[in-house]
Amino acid sequence: MPDCSEYYQTEISEGRNKRVIKCKFCSSVILTPSSASFTRLEVRKYICLNLIIFHVTMYEPVIIIYKLPHIRQTKGSESDPETEDIIHFWAVEDMMTFYNVGFSNTVGNTKYLTCADCEAGPIGYHDIPSKMSYVALSRVLHSNSTEKN
Amino acid sequence: MAKTYDYLFKLLLIGDSGVGKTCVLFRFSEDAFNTTFISTIGIDFKIRTIDLDGKKIKLQIWDTAGQERFRTITTAYYRGAMGIMLVYDITNEKSFENIKNWIRNIEENASADVEKMLLGNKCELEEKRQVSRERGEQLAIEYGIKFIETSAKASIRVEEAFFTLARDIKTKMEKKLKEASNPPKGGHQLRASEPQKKPTSWLSRCTLL
Repeated sequence: MPDCSEYYQTEISEGRNKRVIKCKFCSSVILTPSSASFTRLEVRKYICLNLIIFHVTMYEPVIIIYKLPHIRQTKGSESDPETEDIIHFWAVEDMMTFYNVGFSNTVGNTKYLTCADCEAGPIGYHDIPSKMSYVALSRVLHSNSTEKN
Repeated sequence: MAKTYDYLFKLLLIGDSGVGKTCVLFRFSEDAFNTTFISTIGIDFKIRTIDLDGKKIKLQIWDTAGQERFRTITTAYYRGAMGIMLVYDITNEKSFENIKNWIRNIEENASADVEKMLLGNKCELEEKRQVSRERGEQLAIEYGIKFIETSAKASIRVEEAFFTLARDIKTKMEKKLKEASNPPKGGHQLRASEPQKKPTSWLSRCTLL
């Protein structure tokens, strides 16, 4: 499944979601426009160079690939769910910003996000230590209308 | 970022196992070979936004998540709850009889001024009905709470039920705020009667309010 940022450029306005974010399966409204910021998860990878005279520390950003479990799983894979690599997320700081959403029970440091109506998910995840929520762009629908159709 | 809502209400769903508390209008389909990731883990709570008289209200709705199997729900679960939906299954007599036990549990553990509402779920299964609507109404009158029959499966009146409970909490909250800012100075206080909710359409659709 391609997760390329070019495709999503049109959905971003001033770093935030231009349109309504809905469930792909039942069109339940998840986020209203401009309520989440576009994120690529990154960490700084430090590189130490020991030259003869200098000791140089450099870093370069490394994109984190989040392994989000598939919505459908083959029976018997419950303990080791099949995942998909995801890079692009809508980041939500306060969980109360969500218009409609479901939070799963806790798994490690994570609660998975679902549609509040049809419970399809995970559409993203909530990181308990940082209280941040991330919605995968590829798992939701971007729409002009707030109507549930 | 500015707050995007006017009120935040914490609501609980309480009732016996199998009364359909977690049942929703449409579950992402499962078949013999596939299971869904979420159904394996289970849902903890949901956030929903409703518009009530021009105010944006966030509802944080919690399910008992199987705790009810042990017939007791701890005080921690009730903490901060402003509204409780008491749910029974109209095709299951026992779940209806247990409502009294749940009310006792709430009285012992929850805050005294929590808003309550009685829900007779699965009203789409008329042919299997064991609890008449009249008995539901009667029980609700006995406890001075509202009653509605719903079908979470067929998505009948579930939304109305949440709107009703939210409206009652909002009314109570606004009344409290008003009293706090404008304490009564003895004597009688005249208060305009609360606007009546339109009962007509609801009555015609197998419900009482």
